[in-house]
Amino acid sequence: MKGIVGRLDRAFNPRSVAVVGDKMEMDYMWLRSLAHFQGRVYSVQIDEQEFQGIAALGVKNYLSLLDIPDEVDYVIVAVPRAVAPKIVQDCIQKKVGGVMLFTSGFAESNTEEGIRLQRMINELAREADLTLIGPNCVGIFNPKIGLRHTIDQYCGDGGNVGFISQSGTHATFFSLVGEANGIRISKSVSYGNAAVLDAPDYLEYLGEDEDTTIIGMYIEGVKNGRQFFSSLREIAQRKPVLIWKGGETEEGTAATASHTASLAGSPLLWDALIRQCGAIKVANLDEMVDTIKALLYAKPTTGNRVGLAAMTGGQSVVIADAFAKAGFEIPPLTERSYREFASFFNTIGSSYRNPLDISLNLTHLDRIIRCLDILIEDERIDAVVLELPVVFLTRLSWHIPNFFDDLIDAVALYKERSPKPLLTIMISAHAEIEAITAREKLVARGIPSFPSFERGANALKKVVAYYESATPR
Amino acid sequence: MVIDEIISAARKEGRTSLTELESKQILKEAGVNTTEIRLARTKEEAISRSQELGFPVVLKIVSPDILHKTDVGGVKLSLNNEEDVGNAYDEIIAAAKKHEPAAKIDGVSVQHMARPAIEVIIGMSKDPQFGPVLMFGLGGILVEVLKDVSFRIVPLTKRDVREMIGELKGYPILEGYRGQEPANIAILEEMLLKVSEFVAGRPEIKELDINPIFAYRDGALAIDARVILEP
Repeated sequence: MKGIVGRLDRAFNPRSVAVVGDKMEMDYMWLRSLAHFQGRVYSVQIDEQEFQGIAALGVKNYLSLLDIPDEVDYVIVAVPRAVAPKIVQDCIQKKVGGVMLFTSGFAESNTEEGIRLQRMINELAREADLTLIGPNCVGIFNPKIGLRHTIDQYCGDGGNVGFISQSGTHATFFSLVGEANGIRISKSVSYGNAAVLDAPDYLEYLGEDEDTTIIGMYIEGVKNGRQFFSSLREIAQRKPVLIWKGGETEEGTAATASHTASLAGSPLLWDALIRQCGAIKVANLDEMVDTIKALLYAKPTTGNRVGLAAMTGGQSVVIADAFAKAGFEIPPLTERSYREFASFFNTIGSSYRNPLDISLNLTHLDRIIRCLDILIEDERIDAVVLELPVVFLTRLSWHIPNFFDDLIDAVALYKERSPKPLLTIMISAHAEIEAITAREKLVARGIPSFPSFERGANALKKVVAYYESATPR
Repeated sequence: MVIDEIISAARKEGRTSLTELESKQILKEAGVNTTEIRLARTKEEAISRSQELGFPVVLKIVSPDILHKTDVGGVKLSLNNEEDVGNAYDEIIAAAKKHEPAAKIDGVSVQHMARPAIEVIIGMSKDPQFGPVLMFGLGGILVEVLKDVSFRIVPLTKRDVREMIGELKGYPILEGYRGQEPANIAILEEMLLKVSEFVAGRPEIKELDINPIFAYRDGALAIDARVILEP
């Protein structure tokens, strides 16, 4: 690996990490985040009052980065902004692999001092080819080696989704909400003000990274739009890239300036750029999670015709509305399908027209699965959507033991044998705790579930459009 | 090269705004089909150019100092014979001198008046983040009121031009709505690609506005155009 990709590779996979300026007041958040780090950890702190607290964490403290008798691959800097240039100079002298500045109060503060300091560290880093992430960020998350933003994040098994974020909160929340939804991070970075390295650098790194098959991005602005355009155009041909753009309104744009000192740019052009590059536009964290979930766990299709199975009449109406509004066709099934339904389906208070209203057939697990199996064979259907009503299924499990669990098992087996994508919609109503338990089971079986018809329809729409645009024409 | 000559001539005169005549010559060189346009410095020239191009014709003032030709009475449409052309020439020159006494007047341009058709527009402007950007839209009232336009960042691929035309809300109009003459989409795609290629290779061009373009079943013709150079 050459150039910036090679340099970032060392910073993303450090064997030694130094934390500069961690303190009791912050509950030693950075040193504690490294509790499970699979390498050597050092602290740099000159305040004597902190020595005891650092020692209690079992970390050796030094008075200067230059005193550490080891190579340092990655440095976390949490010092006051006025000290930042000095630490950056030390990093250069120490020839560290990379440094991230948690420190804020630079260009985003829009103060003369902040702008001057950012320019200073920028010039120092550029001149020395120092891999500098931030400032005003939480840096790298690499769960496999236990390098984290916060103790809330997992470590151990990494996944295959990369995330590049200008916001530390969005990077952290994506990893946590993602984990709860079966999305695990390969490598993620929060890069704040992008003083030295910007979105295209990280995109090129994750584009090359073999552990990363899908890339999500939260961007407020880019410094070099042309470079971003050409990087994205190239990488989105190889891996799905999802873009969540912050600052799409006048009000939001004003906030990007004070958050990361970014120029938000015209939303019309961002939309054009995303489409032109074959990337996927998402509007928020939920859409990011939903769309990646559909990419990971639903089989690919370019087809637009859905077979919908609701468990009650009212839901059969609104599931049809939601998918039709999203632009899907809900076609009548073939005569062959109808003949098969007629052989077993109780039509009293129910219907096997598309959308299906399973209603009174709900208590027969085999009938539910038979309904779904007919949709596999029906050539008019490209994708199958099943509603799982948490309230009814939980109550049913009171007199038919394990009904919900058995249904999940049967749906998992169905998903395996069906060549068509399957989505489940799990509306929790008031049974939110039961819904969480059920979702965990679905995630464990690799079944994608969505909390509303609209979110499921929207996610499927985005992936169908993606597969369609990725198909050579 | 013609394009270099036109640009350096404008630069020598300290101009960044090219005349319609110059703009169309440039576009023609870039492979964009424009209406045939000729300069006439006298009334007699205007009449003989009209005969060469065929009636009806359009006369427009040619002056680097007059940007909004219609506002100063500098445009005369639907001129059907020699007499109309002669009178129009005199009127245009008189009106221009009256409204803009200090303007340098090169003469009038003579063009055959094209048969009306679906109007579309192509524009190029430069974004501070993304550089040259092309805009495509339906012309006339649709672009002004409904802002039915699409954007792409230069350079455009074949797929980009197909999609940017296809995503207009007014796309059915281009396909020939209710028996109206359809536009030739393939020719419009080709025109967009030519413009993209041209602006990608000419960083000295700051803005480009081709408005309107008449889109026919069997062709497309740039009716008016304006090129602005970087300072």
